[in-house]
Amino acid sequence: MRRPQRYHRAPMHRYPRWPLHVMLVAISFAMLLPFYWVLKTSLTGENIFVYPPSILPHHPQPFYYVDVWYFIPFARFLLNSVVVSVLAIVANVVFNAMAAYSLTKNFAGRGWTITLLLSCMMIPFQTTIVPAYLITGKLGLLNSYLGLALPTFSTIVCIFVYKASFDAVPNSLVDAARIDGLSEFRILLQIMLPLSTSAIATNVILAFIWSWNNFLWPLIVVRDQAMQTLPLGLSRFLSDHENTTGALYAFCIMVLAPGIALFLMAQKEFIRGLTSGATKG
Amino acid sequence: MAGRTRRILLSRFVVVPTACMVVVIIWNAYVAAHADGVVTGRVVDGSGHAIADATVRMMEQNFTTNSQRGAARTDANGAFRFDDNRSHSIQLRAEKEGVGRSDQRAVRLYFRSQHIDLRQPLVLKGPPQ
Amino acid sequence: MLVWAFLLPSLAVFFLYRVLPLLWNVALSFQQFSLFGGTRWSGFDHYVEMWQDDVFWTSLWNTLIFLASAPIGILLALAVSLMVNADIRGRNIYRTIVFLSYPLMTVAVGIIWRWMYDEKVGLFNFLLRKLGLIDTPLAFLQSFELVLPSVLLANIWQIIGFYMIVLLAGLQNIPQNLYEAASIDGASRWQQFVRITLPMLRPALFLAFVIGIMTSITSFDLVYVMTQGGPSHSSELLVTYIYKAAFELSKLDYAAALTVVQFLLLVTLTWIGNRLSGGNAGAVERN
Repeated sequence: MRRPQRYHRAPMHRYPRWPLHVMLVAISFAMLLPFYWVLKTSLTGENIFVYPPSILPHHPQPFYYVDVWYFIPFARFLLNSVVVSVLAIVANVVFNAMAAYSLTKNFAGRGWTITLLLSCMMIPFQTTIVPAYLITGKLGLLNSYLGLALPTFSTIVCIFVYKASFDAVPNSLVDAARIDGLSEFRILLQIMLPLSTSAIATNVILAFIWSWNNFLWPLIVVRDQAMQTLPLGLSRFLSDHENTTGALYAFCIMVLAPGIALFLMAQKEFIRGLTSGATKG
Repeated sequence: MAGRTRRILLSRFVVVPTACMVVVIIWNAYVAAHADGVVTGRVVDGSGHAIADATVRMMEQNFTTNSQRGAARTDANGAFRFDDNRSHSIQLRAEKEGVGRSDQRAVRLYFRSQHIDLRQPLVLKGPPQ
Repeated sequence: MLVWAFLLPSLAVFFLYRVLPLLWNVALSFQQFSLFGGTRWSGFDHYVEMWQDDVFWTSLWNTLIFLASAPIGILLALAVSLMVNADIRGRNIYRTIVFLSYPLMTVAVGIIWRWMYDEKVGLFNFLLRKLGLIDTPLAFLQSFELVLPSVLLANIWQIIGFYMIVLLAGLQNIPQNLYEAASIDGASRWQQFVRITLPMLRPALFLAFVIGIMTSITSFDLVYVMTQGGPSHSSELLVTYIYKAAFELSKLDYAAALTVVQFLLLVTLTWIGNRLSGGNAGAVERN
């Protein structure tokens, strides 16, 4: 099929496209090389001890993955990560939507609240670890799912994503609902949220990725091996077994796979969440 | 509403997790059906004759260590059988006094206690002449 | 008052885990804190201790060097996003491939790169020797000079996708008719780039810069997994030193003082970045 003419405009300098493709392929190669390398080693166990490394895999076998599944409590780590992420996602959607809905109304102190939220964005998590640890200890939540998930229960970026989406809902709809006697909560639930599915999707994806990849907070809060999440389990494995087995790289792949799969499925929402959150402060 | 429901059901967010769950269920069913812990094989000597009454030792493999799990003797046809393999990574070695020892054979399985019949027999090698 | 009820859960979380810790950090930095009670005020002791602490100065210096990942990453991402933005087939595939590294677990990324840098079996040593550039293998992560650039490279690899996305959004907001008008007027492509693209990208560039600063200063996972602070603190960052002081040396009060310094550094750099961009790099529409 003939490649469609993309622009109809005054003649610009036409430049050949193939140098772009060459450079982009080279860049893609550089970006994908680590993936290929770790995947190859997880399947063959080559060049963990042997030099020079081989470029193509010889004798691939999946038995390192079996090792990871049985020799370390991978299922337990997976469960912990999933529970914490689900907690974080549910709380995020509920709390952020509620907060954003209240920000769409005019009330005394609205400006101050927005300023406060924006300045809270300037406080990164890493500058709060010492008191956060003490607070979580005082609440008795150390080494628990709730303690792991609690700091991530609400994110300011997502509040503003919801707010933008709610602001786009026509006022007439909301007024009609109020006249019908719906309570504010039901307005949120039955009118605002169904029209903001993309904001919800964005919130879910972002909350999942941040919670799934979170390493520093579980490192601080978790005491037993039974409560470790995947990143923590992975780093403990590294410090226990170092570079002695291909199972380490199989573990890496097993840990990366859900993140990659989810990202590929939900690219649009993820990118939209990052850019809208970024441009909206 | 039916059109919208159909669209939701066919969206990638529903199809992919459902497909994954189906695969997991089928795999677990397969594992449950085949995890009987049976390991069978044969012991032969260098020229292919079956060796009766050889001792086969089974060791469970951890990342860096081996630990002995059981021993069995071969019958008249040189065949041996273990019934209680609980691991997914074992090492087998056969020996018979006066005839020799086999190499340590690593057997890696797809799941714990997988039923496995060794295709290649364990070959006893005599002491170097 | 329903409004405040709706705001309450979120505000409670932010108060408990952002505002309160910030204030408590400042208080802790002036105290001699003990987990078992007996806390007392100790004035500027911790700051004096910090002033005399060599590891603190090393980690501060390393953090400043590590900040270089923001400008370098943004420049590279600018080049990549210009290429991806051009009308070529498969631009979405390229975009996905470059962005793929960003949502990954940093611990896993650290393990992969740590192994690629390995002195004996690592990929980089293999390639360098194959190309004939070096004779003996380089111990990337064990050498005092090479360790920080090595970790920096891994960090840039992971974050370049994020910068690219932000810059792409900025590029796509530039109206095409500006380019058309310019080319009618006879402007060369380089002139179009300098006179149209760069100025209109300014907000996006400085937004990426500010976010990049924040991400680089708080980049804990990568250093912890790859070098644990490096051969005697050569890759120790402020954030890893804070973690070690608090949870390995059990000096929570000293760690709080270090955190205060880190936060001041962050605020200063962000303020500078904001001023350089000539206004609010991340303004929210307050309608």
